[in-house]
Amino acid sequence: MFDNFLFISSAALTVCGALAVVLSPNLMHACTYLLTSLIGVSGLYVTLSADFLAATQLVVYVGGVVILMLFAIMLTGGNDNKSVNKFGIEKIAPMGNIKTFTLAGLSALLMALVISKIIVNVTKAVPKGELPPFSSTVEKIGELLITDHVLAFEISSVLLLGALIGAALIARPRKIES
Amino acid sequence: MNETVVTFFSGSHPYQVVTELLTRYLGFNATGLLTVVTFFVACFVIVNVMALVGGLGTYAERKISADMQMRQGPNRVGPFGILQFLADGVKMIMKEDIVPKDSDKMIFFIAPILCMAGVFATLAVLPFSSGFTLTHLNIGVFYLLGVSSVVGVGIFLGGYSSNSKWSMIGGMRGASQIISYEVPVTLSIIAMVLLGGGLNFKDIVGAQGGLPHQWFIFHNPFTVISFIVFFIGALAETNRAPFDLPEAESELVSGYHTEFTGMRFAFFALAEYVEVFVLCGVAVALYLGGYQVPFELSDTFLLHNKIGLPLGPARILGQLLEVGGFVSKTCALYYVVIWIRWTLPRLRVDQLMTLCWKYLTPIALINLVGVAFWVYYFDGESMWNLIFKSGAAAAGGH
Repeated sequence: MFDNFLFISSAALTVCGALAVVLSPNLMHACTYLLTSLIGVSGLYVTLSADFLAATQLVVYVGGVVILMLFAIMLTGGNDNKSVNKFGIEKIAPMGNIKTFTLAGLSALLMALVISKIIVNVTKAVPKGELPPFSSTVEKIGELLITDHVLAFEISSVLLLGALIGAALIARPRKIES
Repeated sequence: MNETVVTFFSGSHPYQVVTELLTRYLGFNATGLLTVVTFFVACFVIVNVMALVGGLGTYAERKISADMQMRQGPNRVGPFGILQFLADGVKMIMKEDIVPKDSDKMIFFIAPILCMAGVFATLAVLPFSSGFTLTHLNIGVFYLLGVSSVVGVGIFLGGYSSNSKWSMIGGMRGASQIISYEVPVTLSIIAMVLLGGGLNFKDIVGAQGGLPHQWFIFHNPFTVISFIVFFIGALAETNRAPFDLPEAESELVSGYHTEFTGMRFAFFALAEYVEVFVLCGVAVALYLGGYQVPFELSDTFLLHNKIGLPLGPARILGQLLEVGGFVSKTCALYYVVIWIRWTLPRLRVDQLMTLCWKYLTPIALINLVGVAFWVYYFDGESMWNLIFKSGAAAAGGH
């Protein structure tokens, strides 16, 4: 019963948060709603007894990505709905272009395919499975990261190092030539 | 499953009797119900006690600062002015709740709650004792890091939503400071996780002992440096002086909570004081032996068999001794935090970032490698053991 409660509440949090993100006209508010959605996803991980993943979700997304997005929105001015086209409708940058419409149509098709693929599995009568008894995933993840998936691990670390060096290069004080 | 406060209580006789009685009278298995009730009561007690600790923190801050500046401090309300924080709390509740006209109302409402929620969620894993901890989560330290990062979002949003320049600068400083200092703090914690052999606070504390030479801080030369890095980082993460740039009162009025009044402001203040306590508690658990009591006085077996206490009181007394050990060490660190605040001047922003990225982060990285090397090479033995062993070997190996 408790598992069901946890699942339903975190699923509701995720879906409601995501809907609020999409429907909110204010970018800053959307980012705040995204926070609830991400916390809900971490709750979903907990129901699947992926404890480490849940905590990582909190550390990376809530602590890092959301703050980064908030910074980006704030520094780029975010929410000025001043640009209105001649019909008085708010102008949105990628609207009204053959290219963008084609892209949007294609991606919508792709999304529909993916979603129908998921939904087909849901509608099939799959016997109700039991989750294996809870065991800590930290050791397994650590082992897999440095054995089977060591290449991905190293590549991502090189990527991060590159990002770090790039950031240092941009942020470093320049000598003013006089 | 993880050990929780319920696991501790369900081992006792009265709890089992109550479970049986409830099962008989209610007509269904009451274990689940009783678990929920026990958790609820435990959470209620801990949250309220910690709110009290936060209030007493403001009192301690004022009294200790007064002591350091040869003043009296609050001394009118109650004996030695100890009820001052209650009077302040009442004042906060009675105050008019002012919301700036151009503020972002929704975020203005959410920001203090985010701060509070982030801090109080960390209490779930704070190891007060081996039994009275809400839960010994198997990813305890990592969970704590994750949840406490919500505080950064709260501070940033608080600064943004006020629609005021001072708050804005304070919030930006707060967010960047917290993100930056998370790096050396996390690296120092990872070094301790390496020594303790688990992310669980129970493992880390269990690998230490009650006496100072068994603590992780004196385990090897690297851990001493690691503790210093962690402590500096923790000061910066809780926005305490000399890192209180987000609320630098001489330049930013009051930083990110300038525009907040009444209870909203009280939420920010409470969150800050409780967070200081939590991080001091984490420092104690990771470095200073946590809830371990010297000579294993808290051992149920010792209290029950040697001293002759009945089993129930023996267990409770052992836990209380552990809580006492933990809280007294944490309060000592809390004193140091306040002491530092009233001793050192504030850093500049560029000095803050320089300290973090050019000094603390490389030191923490090297430390991590050093601790890993120590664990591998000396099999995780502390330097006192090694010294004693080599001494014994020099004396003939007896």
